[in-house]
Amino acid sequence: MVYLELFWSFVKIGFTSFGGISMIPLINHEMVGHGWMTLEEVADIVAIAEMTPGPLGLNCATFAGMRVAGLPGSLVTVFGVLSPTFTVCLAAAIAFEKFKNSKFLTNLLTGIRPMCLGMIASVILSQAISNYTDAGSPVWPAVFIGVLGIILLDRFKFTVPKLIVLSAALGLVLVR
Amino acid sequence: MTRKEQWKKALWLYLYFAKVGCYTFGGGWSIIAQMQKDFVAKRGWTTDEELLDKISVGRSVPGTMISNVTLLFCYSQAGIPGAILGVLGIITAPVIILSILTFCYTRFRDNIYVARALVGVRAAVVPIMVVSMKSMIKSAFPYKLCYGVTLLGFVLCTFTSMSNALVVVLGGVCGLAIMRWIDASKPTAKTGKEG
Repeated sequence: MVYLELFWSFVKIGFTSFGGISMIPLINHEMVGHGWMTLEEVADIVAIAEMTPGPLGLNCATFAGMRVAGLPGSLVTVFGVLSPTFTVCLAAAIAFEKFKNSKFLTNLLTGIRPMCLGMIASVILSQAISNYTDAGSPVWPAVFIGVLGIILLDRFKFTVPKLIVLSAALGLVLVR
Repeated sequence: MTRKEQWKKALWLYLYFAKVGCYTFGGGWSIIAQMQKDFVAKRGWTTDEELLDKISVGRSVPGTMISNVTLLFCYSQAGIPGAILGVLGIITAPVIILSILTFCYTRFRDNIYVARALVGVRAAVVPIMVVSMKSMIKSAFPYKLCYGVTLLGFVLCTFTSMSNALVVVLGGVCGLAIMRWIDASKPTAKTGKEG
């Protein structure tokens, strides 16, 4: 039964990947292995998933489910890819709320919080490289939008949706 | 909180995340920045520290980071109903958009105007992250040694392929070591608190 197979494929994809592009090889393997899609189609999915709002894994799941088995297919794949969130992460949430006042957890978090900031800084660096440069040279319209974004958010208290809409408009006008 | 209030808040969370779900670019980091603005700065429902905790947990367990962080936050606000409705909220817009695009994706993919707008949108991700990180910095460093931990985290994530979960565990170990050292160097303060 195709729905069950789709669900199981995306449960596997959800559980064995930690978000982002790390799930692409797995999606490749599952889609091509089942004969649901060709390699080119998977590449298309990834391109579309990156061009639309939403996390990459979720977008790939929706797209693949739709292509293989229509709307019911996409519901099945979406809940497959979300299965770790509703199981492992929910268990973590319950445990976290229960123990958040314990001395041991507080001590752990004293180190985890700064470590997490280091992780975020690393993500910022890789995002900056991929968004502001193209084959090693700077993309000036993007750099301009980036600097403007910092000023608007920090000095003029812009909200995130407002900045995204403005940046899209600036991209339309400035990028050639 | 009564059951009715809990469901009411869960429903509010669904609508909130359905709205911000339209702006999930850059792997969900823009949502976290918006959550920080709305729930820490504006409403005071949570703190920068708690949001950082949720990012750490959300990145260390399997699954997409932003749906994990949304679940952790919504569970802390409105229990299981909140957790379920919050996650359904964040996926609503992407699922609808992608489902429609399945029918005309080649035209969308090859559209020059879409590509140009996207260069702009992607360029906005870094400032969004930098500005929200700036306000988190103030809260993450109660002790000087914590700066060293941040540097370690940055180096490990940038130059090695260590998994996020392992990096977070290492952060926990650093935390235990720091607190042990702090407690040992200030025995009077500790006994004072206990007495």
